[in-house]
Amino acid sequence: MMSNPREPGGTGDRPEFLTAGLFVGFGALGLWAGRDLTFGTASAMGPGYLPTIICWLLIIVGVTVGGLGAFRDREEIAKPKLWPVVIIPAAVVGFAFIAEFFGFVAAAVWLLLVGSVADRDSKPREVLMLTAGLTAFGALVFIVGLGVQMPIWPF
Amino acid sequence: MKHLIRNTTLATTLLLGAGVAHADWPGDRPIELIVAFAPGGGTDVMNRTLAPFIEKELGAKITILNRPGASGEIAYTAMTEANPDGYTASSLNTPGYLTMQMDRKVRFDPKKLCLVARIVEDPGSFIVQANSEFNSLKDLVAYAKANPGAVTVGTTGLGTDEHLAMLQLEKSAGVDFTAVTFNGANEARTALLGGHVMAIGINVGEFVGSDHSAFKNLGQFAEKRAVIAPDLPTAKEQGYEVLISSERGIAMGCDVPENIRTKFSDAVRKALDNPEFQGKAKQQSLALSYLSSEDWNREMPVRAERLGAIWKLAKEQQ
Amino acid sequence: MEFLDLLSLGFSEALTPTNLGFCLLGALLGTLIGVLPGIGPTATIAVLLPITFYLPPLAGIIMLAGIYYGAQYGGSTTAILVNLPGEASSVVTAIDGYRMARNGRAGSALAVAALGSFFAGTVATFGIAIAGPTLSSFALSFGPAEYVSLMLFGLLAATVLARGPVLKAIGMVLLGLLFGMVGIDASSGEERLTFSAVELFDGIDFVVIAIGLFGFAEIIENLENHEARGVLVTKLSRLWPTGEDFRRAWPAVLRGTGVGTFLGVLPGGGATLASFCAYSVEKKASKNPKEFGNGAVEGVAGPEAANNAGAQSSFIPLLTLGIPSNNMMAMMLSAFIIHGITPGPTVLATQPEIFWGLVASMWVGNLMLVVINLPLIGIWVKLLTVPYRLLYPAILLFCCVGVYSINNRIFDVVLAAGFGLLGYAFRKAKCEAGPLLLGFVLGPLLETNIRRAMTISHGDPGVFYERPISLLLLIATVGMFVLMILPSFRRTRQEAFQDEEA
Repeated sequence: MMSNPREPGGTGDRPEFLTAGLFVGFGALGLWAGRDLTFGTASAMGPGYLPTIICWLLIIVGVTVGGLGAFRDREEIAKPKLWPVVIIPAAVVGFAFIAEFFGFVAAAVWLLLVGSVADRDSKPREVLMLTAGLTAFGALVFIVGLGVQMPIWPF
Repeated sequence: MKHLIRNTTLATTLLLGAGVAHADWPGDRPIELIVAFAPGGGTDVMNRTLAPFIEKELGAKITILNRPGASGEIAYTAMTEANPDGYTASSLNTPGYLTMQMDRKVRFDPKKLCLVARIVEDPGSFIVQANSEFNSLKDLVAYAKANPGAVTVGTTGLGTDEHLAMLQLEKSAGVDFTAVTFNGANEARTALLGGHVMAIGINVGEFVGSDHSAFKNLGQFAEKRAVIAPDLPTAKEQGYEVLISSERGIAMGCDVPENIRTKFSDAVRKALDNPEFQGKAKQQSLALSYLSSEDWNREMPVRAERLGAIWKLAKEQQ
Repeated sequence: MEFLDLLSLGFSEALTPTNLGFCLLGALLGTLIGVLPGIGPTATIAVLLPITFYLPPLAGIIMLAGIYYGAQYGGSTTAILVNLPGEASSVVTAIDGYRMARNGRAGSALAVAALGSFFAGTVATFGIAIAGPTLSSFALSFGPAEYVSLMLFGLLAATVLARGPVLKAIGMVLLGLLFGMVGIDASSGEERLTFSAVELFDGIDFVVIAIGLFGFAEIIENLENHEARGVLVTKLSRLWPTGEDFRRAWPAVLRGTGVGTFLGVLPGGGATLASFCAYSVEKKASKNPKEFGNGAVEGVAGPEAANNAGAQSSFIPLLTLGIPSNNMMAMMLSAFIIHGITPGPTVLATQPEIFWGLVASMWVGNLMLVVINLPLIGIWVKLLTVPYRLLYPAILLFCCVGVYSINNRIFDVVLAAGFGLLGYAFRKAKCEAGPLLLGFVLGPLLETNIRRAMTISHGDPGVFYERPISLLLLIATVGMFVLMILPSFRRTRQEAFQDEEA
């Protein structure tokens, strides 16, 4: 992928900090979500035995990664662009709800139209043709052919 | 393409008279049968085999929709929340349906769920390796008495029929087993074959329907010997009070008009009587045991009470 | 020779026009669903099960088996072309295969994968024929303690999948283990980490995580990096592997086949481990481990061979003992039972044509798959020249349908979108998702087996080192760990020196 620009003179590896944050965050979340689980003993391990151990290990690894990262040369996180990050999940989630209540065709049209907005290269004519083609293909192959359990039409 | 055309005609019917659709049940659109387990499993295969025969009796189309998860809770929730017009039914399995209500608050309202027809009742049983020194439940119990905790019994988890059977036997014979949990009967069988556990619980249908040359069955946990295993003694005959079986049937929402539920139940009965279906059931070792809507609804509370008592036992032990 | 008689009986069954036709149909269907991300063979076979009612038993089973191994071929195509593993085993193929595709060597990667798979399939088929029963008794000697040791070995091997620092990879494995623990705990019946969502009671589905972390995250990232994806389109060189590729690939195929055949026999998780283990074997055996993760042909050849060999040999427990080793095989068992055949030692003796016919058809099917797949490579590679703005909506649609079709519910799709965002965060943090997926797959197996082993031994940890196979595996694990730690120490020290000099 892209190599990040190194800024001379600073310390602190930002991607490592993000990693540390993710690890520690999930570890803590796991400990919190599993706080009511029985721990048990080695011969009769309860449901909380291994999750607790793993969460603590995760936190330890996270802290270590972050600590080591603090002494590395400064490195930035590749700059995020908000547009695709918002559009793609929105298109996907919308697809699921529409598929459930209005069937495949409506859902596919939504997904493909909204999904295409995420790319600034999209050309309206192409998008429309692609949507029509893929929707028809999907309905035939997935629902008629492979028997995916989803209605085709909204009714 | 047929699917497409059917859906369009269906759409027009719906657009014309949405609410009153059940006036001419079941002719006007397909009945959706929700199967609470993944495609390809025993329950799924049974329902897919049976559906065409019910279709013939009802003169209607049945489509199968798998909604697996949480031992059926997801399917039961979907079914009780569906429009009560008689076009949504769900498969229903015990003891899962009953035990899930004992342990936690379920997402559906059990009062809104009405049993329509029982199709199968499959008793539990215990099996050991074919060359094992145990030939009956008595032998197993005697060994467990002499060596408390040494007998390892494979089950598929807390509150499953095998586990409840083990608890009943422990109580009835006054012995102590060690339960070892497996993810499914197949894993348990592999472990038994490899000698990693001494005995496992398994449904009689599963036992009879598979290659069981390497195993020996110690006894079935039914009131009367099941039709598919007439030579296998029951636990009761051997002097132990162990009664457990899994049932498979069909349920609908209670708001569905009663005449529709009765009609469906009758169709299931006629389908089960069809010799062609019986041939297929035999191949799949289905322990057919029909109960009408009325009978099954009457029997369920008795079963629930019995399970409740064992369940309490399990909780005390923990 | 009795063996030859049986084998020729098998081929005479497999080569009847009907069986040949259904074998072809299964292979074609399998390739199709393998290529479509998210649509797995399990779902397809489930839909087709009722149809096999109306077919002669052997024909139906041959077709279903064809779908299964056909999907293995097809799955690697998607993994290589668009970095989208449809199942656990192709996670590994995606690592170096996708890199090769980005370097303009998609054709080579696909051809090596297809040829390697064919070779492995052939060897494994004969393996089943010759040593099926022996191998299955080996599988039975694997008890809970042995599985624990094997899983530990596998998890350690997982850290090799990442290019970056070992510590981050270990963290990702741990995260995967944690995700794998979501759901109802079977032995206590308690809900774990489900946040009271009933949809999580059975845990998270593999496809949800894989499509999220790989599929959606990849799309988001590609849309963001406008420059990076241009490279994909312009650099497209040759279609076929070079002589150099072949020279490097064949020993890897050989090793992969061996690893896959053995691990595939183990019920529950064996076949999944196969491709991971093959990858770490290759990386360890290679003189240039640095190439791995940047498009090493061995990194495609070894795991693909192992994957296919494992898929074939996972039939062994079903055919010889009557016990299915995974969900797919459980489905195959249903297919047998629908026809009143109960696979196992009895059928082996009384209806040899079923066993041998299926075995022979597997070889025929593998041959068909190579013949189908090699010409397709040209088309697949052309697909890469389609501008990304037209390609990604299609991938998006296939992924969504695939995820929805697992359990037919909204929840899974929303969850996959969430994992997409998480995957995007991982990419920003320079964490690789491969080890996480392996931890996720192996975690539940590890946990249940640890608990089983400890229950059976009444809390005595001696079971792990008193049983010979388990001990052997533990020694191998420790050995590998030492091997891993040593060079990385050396390297960091070297780097430190270099830094000082500079």
